[in-house]
Amino acid sequence: MDVTISNQDNKIFVTLSGRLDTTNADQFQQDIASLMECDKPDIDIDCSDMSYTSSQGLRLFLMLQKSVLSHGGKMVMRNMNPQVKEVFDITGFSNIITII
Amino acid sequence: MKLDMHCEMILDEYRERLPLFEQIKNLVLEKLRTCFKENNVVVAGLEARIKTEKSLAGKLELKGYKYRTVDDITDIVGVRIITFFSDDVDIVSALVEKMFEIDWANSVDKRKMLEIDRFGYMSLHYICRLPQSMCTDPAAPELNQVRFEIQMRSTLQHVWANMQHDMGYKTDVEIPAEYQRNMSRLAGMLELADEQFSRIRREITDYRRNVQSLVASGNFDEVHLNGDTFRSYCELKPFQRLANKIAAINQAEMYEDSMMPYYNVLMHMGMKTIGDVERMRVDCSDGAYQLALIQLAGTGLDIVAYSVALQNLCIVQILKQGFGQAGLERLFIALYGETAYNTQRAARIFEQAKKINLI
Repeated sequence: MDVTISNQDNKIFVTLSGRLDTTNADQFQQDIASLMECDKPDIDIDCSDMSYTSSQGLRLFLMLQKSVLSHGGKMVMRNMNPQVKEVFDITGFSNIITII
Repeated sequence: MKLDMHCEMILDEYRERLPLFEQIKNLVLEKLRTCFKENNVVVAGLEARIKTEKSLAGKLELKGYKYRTVDDITDIVGVRIITFFSDDVDIVSALVEKMFEIDWANSVDKRKMLEIDRFGYMSLHYICRLPQSMCTDPAAPELNQVRFEIQMRSTLQHVWANMQHDMGYKTDVEIPAEYQRNMSRLAGMLELADEQFSRIRREITDYRRNVQSLVASGNFDEVHLNGDTFRSYCELKPFQRLANKIAAINQAEMYEDSMMPYYNVLMHMGMKTIGDVERMRVDCSDGAYQLALIQLAGTGLDIVAYSVALQNLCIVQILKQGFGQAGLERLFIALYGETAYNTQRAARIFEQAKKINLI
């Protein structure tokens, strides 16, 4: 799982590629740790190249979303491939996280 | 401004005690904030100030003879609590009475001071001291000797007081009867408005209680579907059993999310009463579980949102009513807005539903 984080015009862009599962969830958690300390973050996560997420990934997205909201920010995920989107749909996570 | 020696002495005491006044002001504010939080009291405003030297000198110039020392002036530290409703002034004052020592001889309920044929719009003023138990700073043993004033008033009382102040209107100053009458009319109107706000709040609370008891008693067909009634219904956890069953497919953890986004969806689906929602729950639970089973079994996904139960119920209801793939797409548009995913998701679920004979 490759994660790149960049800032532009007060917005945080996160790009994910590859599989997110138990083998790399800890690393992903470390990668996004800094985002959980931002005040009013505006986070845009591009999932174009993310091929899969496990439950562990869902938990981390949920944790990130909670932190973002508690800091008065917002978060969207975009460009999910059908397989990844299905994971969010069948678990009900599409009701929790904004996916565009 | 020229003050006599006695008043100058009081001003000197004031200057000396400024750090103590500041300490008291901060302590009172902190204690009030904590108390309101612990008692779930929401106030419109909580503010405090220390009387400025200029303002104190003005007071001394007028009636300095009344005060022996600075301790006799009780409003150097002033705190104001502004409530949303006039009813809440009594709640807040009860809390203040519990927290601080009240100097009853010098406290006034100006709300009760008006003659019956006159209007005015007044607040409740308490002269207080910090109780010994709050004065733990050994460097400031005199903390509980200083009196301070707490004013409590509703937002409209606050508006009235500010307008009065801004216009330089004082009851002890002779003003033409015409202006007096106009001010009285305004005061009366604000007092009535305050009462009406409190009354409306009580009625809404009664309505909610009534709805809650109707929902709790199971008379669902008598309860119109709206945001309040749906919330009360959800508090009964009607979808818990189905959600547990769905979670059990993968021994999953359940994340308790809100069902409220589905309120608009249910309205879109033409539901009029909580009874309609309840019928969907009863009639579609098996289908909703079957759908979850075909979707989740074997995926290893061991976390699900509570709302997945209602999501699947809505899907099954739409399919049972014959609205097909287009109906599902409309459901997703109602939930998530127009996104590129809606069509493919509707198509995918439609195919899954065919496999388990939901259509």
